[in-house]
Amino acid sequence: MAPNVQPKMKAFETKSKPAEIRSSNIEAAKAVADAIRTSLGPRGMDKMIQSGKGDVTITNDGATILKQMKLVHPAAKMLVELSKAQDVEAGDGTTSVVVLAGSFLEAAQKLLEKGIHPTVISESFQKASVKAVEILEAMATPMKLEDRHSLLMSATTSLGSKVVSQHSALLAPLAVDAVLKVIDPLKDHDVDLRDIRVIEKLGGTVDDTELVEGLVLDQRSAGSGGPSRMEKAKIGLIQFCISPPKTDMDNQVVVSDYNAMDRVLREERAYILNVAKQVKKAGCNVLLVQKSILRDAVSELALHFFDKMKIMVVKDIEREDIEFITKTLNCRPIASLDHFLPEYMATADLVESVPTGTSKVVKITGIQNVGKTVSVIVRGSNKLVLEEAARSLHDALCVIRCLVKKRFIIAGGGAPETELAYQLTQYAQGLPGVEAYCLRAFAESLEVIPMTLAENAGLNPIATVTDLRNKHACGFKSSGINVRKGAITNMLDEGVAQPLLVTTSAITLASETVRSILKIDDIVNALY
Amino acid sequence: MFSSSLSLPGKRTTGNSVRTQNVLAASSIANIVKSSLGPVGLDKMLVDDVGDVTITNDGATILNLLEVQHPAAKVLVELAQLQDQEVGDGTTSVVIVAAELLKNADELVKQKIHPTSVISGYRLACKEAVKYIQDNLTLSVEELGKDCLINAAKTSMSSKIISADANFFAAMCVDAANAVRVTDNKGQAIYPIKAINVLKAHGKSARESLLITGYALNCSVASQAMVKKITNAKIACLDFSLQKTKMKMGVQVLVTDPEKLDAIRARESDITKERIQKILNAGANVILATGGIDDLCLKYFVEAGAMAVRRCKKADLKRIAKATGATLLSSMANLEGDESFEASSIGEAAEVSTERICDDELIIIKGTKARTAASIILRGPNDFYCDEMERSVHDALCVVKRVLESKTLVVGGGAVEVALSIYLESFATSLSSREQLAIAEFAHSLLVIPKTLAVNAAKDATDLVAKMRSYHHSSQSKPEHANLKWIGLDLMEGAVRDNRQAGVFEPAVSKIKSLKFATEAAITILRIDDMIKLDSEDKNTQSYQNAYQCGQLDD
Repeated sequence: MAPNVQPKMKAFETKSKPAEIRSSNIEAAKAVADAIRTSLGPRGMDKMIQSGKGDVTITNDGATILKQMKLVHPAAKMLVELSKAQDVEAGDGTTSVVVLAGSFLEAAQKLLEKGIHPTVISESFQKASVKAVEILEAMATPMKLEDRHSLLMSATTSLGSKVVSQHSALLAPLAVDAVLKVIDPLKDHDVDLRDIRVIEKLGGTVDDTELVEGLVLDQRSAGSGGPSRMEKAKIGLIQFCISPPKTDMDNQVVVSDYNAMDRVLREERAYILNVAKQVKKAGCNVLLVQKSILRDAVSELALHFFDKMKIMVVKDIEREDIEFITKTLNCRPIASLDHFLPEYMATADLVESVPTGTSKVVKITGIQNVGKTVSVIVRGSNKLVLEEAARSLHDALCVIRCLVKKRFIIAGGGAPETELAYQLTQYAQGLPGVEAYCLRAFAESLEVIPMTLAENAGLNPIATVTDLRNKHACGFKSSGINVRKGAITNMLDEGVAQPLLVTTSAITLASETVRSILKIDDIVNALY
Repeated sequence: MFSSSLSLPGKRTTGNSVRTQNVLAASSIANIVKSSLGPVGLDKMLVDDVGDVTITNDGATILNLLEVQHPAAKVLVELAQLQDQEVGDGTTSVVIVAAELLKNADELVKQKIHPTSVISGYRLACKEAVKYIQDNLTLSVEELGKDCLINAAKTSMSSKIISADANFFAAMCVDAANAVRVTDNKGQAIYPIKAINVLKAHGKSARESLLITGYALNCSVASQAMVKKITNAKIACLDFSLQKTKMKMGVQVLVTDPEKLDAIRARESDITKERIQKILNAGANVILATGGIDDLCLKYFVEAGAMAVRRCKKADLKRIAKATGATLLSSMANLEGDESFEASSIGEAAEVSTERICDDELIIIKGTKARTAASIILRGPNDFYCDEMERSVHDALCVVKRVLESKTLVVGGGAVEVALSIYLESFATSLSSREQLAIAEFAHSLLVIPKTLAVNAAKDATDLVAKMRSYHHSSQSKPEHANLKWIGLDLMEGAVRDNRQAGVFEPAVSKIKSLKFATEAAITILRIDDMIKLDSEDKNTQSYQNAYQCGQLDD
């Protein structure tokens, strides 16, 4: 383009050269990886993020950090997506997946500088990741769900890096029990974590976190004079409102006589009373009412009647909780009064409203035909700790879920990555051409995990990683970095283990993201 | 360098500088409240942007009103609030301890000790400290007798504005707490101090504050023509209004004949009149309603010689209903579809009377049937004084409640902190790991309490603390000197004394919880090594476009 000629197509004004774009993308993505590196591992630190509105989050969870950071660079955003994908797929290892991706990108950048074409790098990385998964599967130890020790070990490892790590003796068994309870014996290769309800309640300390077999509702019982404790409860879950009915169209009731005024008032009472009597007749003594935005779900008058009839009412149940409640109680939601029959109700030994911290929750225990669900009440002394505790528990639950999905565990503490690096290098030596070169770079970049672990723990990274490499070359496959002792030990003996799925999914997802970043050679900014 | 390539719409700080910055913010918060600690601590006057003035000595109140911006400092503010909710007293000391823990931890980190080592050391130290308090430093209420309750309340009040009348108020608080005692369904006695109604009325001196064994209601009778005093009161509590009936939305009254207009108007008031008649026929002579009562309807009450009170607070009525055995009715509908008022929902009290205090009229319900109740009416020369009195009485009530429920006490005046510090120091030397240093620092940090106490009293802190340390050391090393573990500060004399004999007590729960909370808060802040502050969203959201144009993506 001649210097004086104005560009005609404005939309392509910001078009740059491919190499520049690639390097800009890589730099941006690496910066993200660098930013969250320090939170990896048991000695990782937390990040404090203050959002634009002034809300503060303190967390150690990679996915949460990245979500909160509101990155603007498109390549950086891909890493945020990557971490989210890992969160959905495995639930844990959200930090390591990003750190791995950053390290792969760095390796790719060096290869690019040497003049290797991006597609070749991309192809070889793909090959390497497939091989890596093979190697990992070969080194993993199969386990059974009955093996409680291994399950506990994995959950403890996942909790080890969090602020709640000193409570892992409480939270790890809790996570294991929760997941094992909700496994469907017919379909025991997946767990729906929605069957585990986590309720956050401020007040108390993390030690007070408890697993409730049964149902916990974080609404309190309504009404002032009604019962707050009910033994031998018959529970009905209704989706209709107990308040004066309204028609869909605008309507007007016209009163022209003073006698009619009395009738209007009496009709309302009679209508509500009729509903209340039906409820009583069906034998129900605990009524759960779905929230309604159109009119009062339960009018004052109705509450008054229920108080008199000694029926406990819990109102404002969210629509999305209905499914969970019906599953737990094994009852059917009742959508109209005509269907309010005893057979749709659930029976429980005790329904009780219990004070927790500053508010109250309703606990339903001793349910007959209890469904495969559990509730966990997480407690924390302040909002930041509470939220972080809930996130950590979620990670631990995910780890157990991974083990249910794929029943293999491998050692933690950087052992699998080091082993991979060692075996991939060996494998690369048997390959011809450029591919071997790329594969070796991939293998080396895997060492970023043990390297970061050592760095965060304040150990000498070079000395530690070389020592670790040496151990693996001698055939000690489970050797990893023991952060507490600052030495190389057998991680399985130390009780540091993780599910195979976390590592394989991290490597696959990271290498795929890197491949797609490498393939970008242009960013076109559509001006608006 | 990478922070520039990490194109964030905001600021990011990492590494040690974040920690130092957070610690600094926390210390400055602690410095604000420091001078209000202890019996010789002074008050703060806070003026907000509207011009409202608060004068207080209570840590949680001071921090609440500060509107702190810094996120780390906010953690400390929340800490104070938490202590206020869970314990009710010791809000200042918990903030001071947390800030001191942070300051010392920062020093350790600067000496290249990894923060996680410091954290695990702190956790260990906290656990040991709590265990040591429970095993060695607690005193049971039985051992000390009833006076200890009053002494504990006095200790809590000693730092407050009412310290001169501490004897008077302490006795009042203990009586009030005992009056609201209830037994829960597990058979344990609990003291819901929220049920004690604390009313403020300025005028007269603090000494003329009074405790009423009954319920004082900050309302006046609806009509001046009503009787002022009713003995053998039958009380009805209504959660609805006795006003002319209004039709529901969507109901329209259409009158074609002007004659009928009057009939409808009459009916409107008759519906309410019938209700009132039903209530009165059931035998009620004191009617308390949360809603309004029409002036028109008042005459029925006046004629019947009953007392009617309108616009009472619902919370008040709930408590009155509990105390008198009444039921708070939200409607008069019965199960037959009609309206009726049952005599069983009426509560009883020996006497209901209106009294004039200051400019307000109060309704006082005495001799309630179902359980005893208590109300405190605070008097003071001005509103600020009354507000501060209310906070102090609240703190003291919390302390009394804790002591009554947990039945364990510790000695105040810095004795526990010094004893713990000596114990933890020797405990630290028994460990050979890196945690040793952190535990020693924890021990050192606890001394901030006696030091601040002494400094606030303008006494020689170094000298006093050294003396206390030597006493406590010998109490822990020589069995025959075990009694020296009650040695604490006497801030009036500037000397050390046996605080067990002097009657300076605090509830053990308060000490234990404040240690736990302070440690947890310190750990939360210590673990942070990265702070990202995003720009507020209402600015033009930064797109890739903008970032590109500003050259932020160039390397």
